[in-house]
Amino acid sequence: MRRGIVLVLALAGGVAVAGGALALWPIGAPVALDALDGDAQRGAYLARAGGCIACHSDPGSGRPALTGGAAIETGFGRFVPPNITPHPGAGIGAWSIEDFARALRQGIAPDGSPYYPAFPYPFYGGLSDQDIADLWAAFQTVPAQDMAAEGHAIRFPFNLRPGLKLWRAAYADGPPAQPDPERTDAWNRGRWLVNGLAHCGACHTDRNMLGGRKPGRHLAGSDDLPGGGRAPALTPAALGQAGWDAHALAFALKSGVKPDGDTFGGGMGEVVRHGTAWLRPDDRAAIAAYLLEGE
Amino acid sequence: MIYRTMMAGLAGLAFASGAWAHSDAMGVVKERMDAMKAMGEAVKRIKPMMSGEAGYDADAVRAAARAIAGEAGAAMVEKFPEGSGGGVSEALPAVWSDAARFEALARDLEIAARGLERAAGNGPHGAGHMSGGMSGMMGGSSGMMGGMMGGDHMRGAMSVEHIGQMPADGAFVMMTQVCSACHDRFREEK
Repeated sequence: MRRGIVLVLALAGGVAVAGGALALWPIGAPVALDALDGDAQRGAYLARAGGCIACHSDPGSGRPALTGGAAIETGFGRFVPPNITPHPGAGIGAWSIEDFARALRQGIAPDGSPYYPAFPYPFYGGLSDQDIADLWAAFQTVPAQDMAAEGHAIRFPFNLRPGLKLWRAAYADGPPAQPDPERTDAWNRGRWLVNGLAHCGACHTDRNMLGGRKPGRHLAGSDDLPGGGRAPALTPAALGQAGWDAHALAFALKSGVKPDGDTFGGGMGEVVRHGTAWLRPDDRAAIAAYLLEGE
Repeated sequence: MIYRTMMAGLAGLAFASGAWAHSDAMGVVKERMDAMKAMGEAVKRIKPMMSGEAGYDADAVRAAARAIAGEAGAAMVEKFPEGSGGGVSEALPAVWSDAARFEALARDLEIAARGLERAAGNGPHGAGHMSGGMSGMMGGSSGMMGGMMGGDHMRGAMSVEHIGQMPADGAFVMMTQVCSACHDRFREEK
């Protein structure tokens, strides 16, 4: 009996110590951005390719763009993409460009807390300093809107943010792949878009119980998306079987039309409408080239 | 050999059960599945002209656009009566719980298809460009915001007359994006 109490106390103490250590465990790396001139037009293009506008806006709600997106219901709780207009209170107006860089590439908020991976920062690690400066310049052109988005509603224990540090340690990606000189420029550009900014794998790669993408299932599809949706496999074999060729795939990223005349659904329509339809034709062709050829 | 035969049998079975979903549909569910299929076939017929893979034929585009317009709007909404979900139907409950939005998208499709019918004579601009929208997004201080006018914000902002002045491929893309905006929200992906 007594031994049981001691054991429970010891366990509780251990959990407390571990939790405290986790809370104090430093993450991230300091950022030093040289005084780069941002190109707002190029940044707006990247913001579209990266889904910033699609996810942080809710066109059905009547709220202005970038004041917060439609909630994403997941097994971990409800995530609400926040206001990212340059409003100092409701948005990111009080941030520095270094805060912005750390948020995007490292997934760390200005106050040092880690973001949930519902924000696809693991895909944004390959953005260059110039990309960041361009995005930052683009966001400065957006009218500031004083409308805070609703907060997340995350279930215990996932609501304890220090736990995300363990997630980062387990599932954060390694450094982004360097361009492969043996491949075409289009293939390399497509790989940069697909595996980076456009974050196709956020939906088209299956995740484990903790929301980490399964290694070895890269772009092999998922039937377990938030809300019960499915994302088909994008491997060269699967795409070939479904009747896709480079031309059809590039045009589908503009029109949403599949080889059989049907059109996308399940959220891919939105990806096209607010994202890939705005890309230059050569970028859509690059995505198709990379997907159809594979690694 | 036995393995290969088995796999072929399994594949056949999978195919048969897929076909079964549609052949088993009855009444209004079958009617709407047939209507969707007809619209998909119309899209498929003219898509190669819009993506630059086939020569352009304005009459074929007009005919396809008319066929789609005829199945859109009220004709589509009346094939989704209350209580006709479930079973083999791919319609999500949102069709009825968010009926106003569903009906608005059905109307948008009719507007876009009628617009395409008018735009058919304009010919394609090339490789499915939305040149107007593109420069809107990239233009000056409105760089981030111009693009928000596209997609499902078409409602109210675009009319048959407006769309009728676009290059045919731009009008086509506008129409097919309405299709997928509706599928996104109201169709179960099986």
